[in-house]
Amino acid sequence: MKMFRKQFVHLSRVSTHLQRNAIAPCIASPAAEMSTNVAPAAADTSSAATNEFRTGVTNPGEHSELHVAKFYTIPVEEKKQIFSGGGLPKQYEQQIKTFTEACLMVRSPALELLQYIKNADLTNPAVRYVLYGDNGVGKTLTMAHVLHYGALNEFLLVHVPWAPNWMKRPKEAANSASQEGFIDLPFDAAAWLVHFKTQNAKLLGKLQLKTSKEYVWSKRESTPAGAPLMELVEHGIARIKYASETTAALLAELKQLASARQCKIMVAIDGFNAFFHPITRIFSDNKQRVTPERITLTQPFLDITNYDWTNGVCVLSVDKIAMTEGYMASYMPRYLLGKDGFEHLDPFVPVHVGNYTDKEFLSYINYYLDRHWISRAQPGFEEQLKFMSNMNPYTLMQLVRGL
Amino acid sequence: MATNLTRLLESSIRSTNAAAVQSSMRLFSNQQQQHQPEDDDEEFRVLNLRTIRQQARRREFKKEAVQPPRTKRMAVDQDWSAVWSGPRSFHPASVPLPLRQGYTERGAAAPSKYANAELMKIPNFLHLTPPAIRQQCEAIKKFCTPWPKGLETEAKWKRTFPLEVVTSDYCHSLPTIRNPEARRVKITLKLSDLQFDAHAKDKFLRLVGERFDRETGLLTFVTDRCPTRKQNYDYALYLLTACYHESFVTEPWEASKSEADMEQYLFERNQAKRSAEAILNWNASREEKVSPPSGYAESVEQLINEGENEYNIAKYKEEVLKLLKIAI
Repeated sequence: MKMFRKQFVHLSRVSTHLQRNAIAPCIASPAAEMSTNVAPAAADTSSAATNEFRTGVTNPGEHSELHVAKFYTIPVEEKKQIFSGGGLPKQYEQQIKTFTEACLMVRSPALELLQYIKNADLTNPAVRYVLYGDNGVGKTLTMAHVLHYGALNEFLLVHVPWAPNWMKRPKEAANSASQEGFIDLPFDAAAWLVHFKTQNAKLLGKLQLKTSKEYVWSKRESTPAGAPLMELVEHGIARIKYASETTAALLAELKQLASARQCKIMVAIDGFNAFFHPITRIFSDNKQRVTPERITLTQPFLDITNYDWTNGVCVLSVDKIAMTEGYMASYMPRYLLGKDGFEHLDPFVPVHVGNYTDKEFLSYINYYLDRHWISRAQPGFEEQLKFMSNMNPYTLMQLVRGL
Repeated sequence: MATNLTRLLESSIRSTNAAAVQSSMRLFSNQQQQHQPEDDDEEFRVLNLRTIRQQARRREFKKEAVQPPRTKRMAVDQDWSAVWSGPRSFHPASVPLPLRQGYTERGAAAPSKYANAELMKIPNFLHLTPPAIRQQCEAIKKFCTPWPKGLETEAKWKRTFPLEVVTSDYCHSLPTIRNPEARRVKITLKLSDLQFDAHAKDKFLRLVGERFDRETGLLTFVTDRCPTRKQNYDYALYLLTACYHESFVTEPWEASKSEADMEQYLFERNQAKRSAEAILNWNASREEKVSPPSGYAESVEQLINEGENEYNIAKYKEEVLKLLKIAI
């Protein structure tokens, strides 16, 4: 009910959004906003509960085996809060835009992870969960599901939407002022701070977290001990030059605060194995490629995925695409992480994300039919799609995409 | 008179019959009769008074009459080992078998055994018929001693005599009876018959190198560097003994074996153990330290040594969940 009220508070903003989509009749009742009857195509479906492939339960914490292969809708506000800085694959984002609703399918890997997180004893050292699976099976969306749970359950989110971006295409690379021989990624660090801020602004305001020590950035600039954490973030965003150092300071502070039981943290890093790739595409001053550990952002994120703190949970994914040519032979975690990465994470809980089951596949087809995305289909088209896509989620999405 | 006549008739019939039988079929050795041709009546000679001067005839090359094959005269119950006593190439007249061998055009029968090079080319075992072997075994039986008691089965004598020594003897009809190959000695034994600890086994296998066959588990030493067989045998035993005892010696430099030199991942000496211990002993006092469970250690070792597959990673996951006490 509390959530419902929260929805109602933001109703005005949502209504403008909906009016832009020319579906004014639907906002008449607040219940309509909770359900999925947003798109004009779904106007004939009476309510969400009656659809066998949808569920009205929008809180991931309440999802159970009953809801497997069913779609739930992430409310627009929450989607904006969590995923505006990334976190959903680009093409899925496009699909969301087309269908005018952010629907996620409840799948067993996410349920398994949520089960672990719910049952975990937070006074123990942080448990690292590693999602692994072949290309396009839904590792990122599984992580999105878990992130949604974290956001609703007062976890501070430390979310890196796609770590290889830092190693493969950084906006700018500069020599670090504080650490000799290291490379700063000021723009990327600042962008991450913005992402952190949008995700956690509400919770940070509520928790009133303070820095533990003074940070001196330059002769004139410093952050005193006892300053709100938000001030640190704001400083990093305003002074891009110090963004990398601010990120490091922020993550160290968060780790301390969590260990002191002032907050709980969910670390979610997609493409985590990029931190252990032998080489990056960044060149140092002497025109040599630097290794990931020479990037100032790497160490703080490795520290926060270590086991030496409590009140936290780390959801990481290892991905073939995070690697480069020659390192993509297998999708297994030990191979992708390499020796160092495995030793860093061990003991971790590997969670396999696989292709759709028959039930999930049919549910997805029904969803596409419901959205009128598949229309004028010949009988038996499901079998064809099943055969052609091998029930791989990404391949299925590509097969039915618009021209 | 009449009785005389009938006797004469009978004897003449018998003789013609016997001749027919003799030519068509072979008999048992005791039935064979000696057929004596009866004297023909002497021909009345013609007196030729006119001597005709004969022309000097051309000398003709006189072929010797070919004897009928010996097989025709062989009894069916003869002692075959006397006919074919040792290894020798095929001879058609000695082998009473209707053998055929060789290639002809399609449809025709294969060439018969006479003048058949194909049959002579191939080795034959006509001297090793079961009766011949039996006969020879009987002959050498008097030199044999009884089989020792308690070594009835192969498993029993393998256990009592694990070491197997193989040497070769050579027979010559030469002025010298020595053959340089005869000095070679090969000793084999199963590695499982030796007792090692983990370090000694590792070192022993490194010392013997390719003399150990991983597939069969057999250890083989071949020695031929000394001039006599006795010396080579002693040398082979010396090698085995020396390698075995050397493998139990730990040199001071062996302690400097680093992680990169390890041929297998060992949980005990890796980060995995330190991490697991740190997590298990989080907030624990110094006394009540817990060491990681052996199941977890095994699963990590298996994951890394055997490589990743669905089974190994599932086992690892199960063990980690147990280790971290996460309720499923």
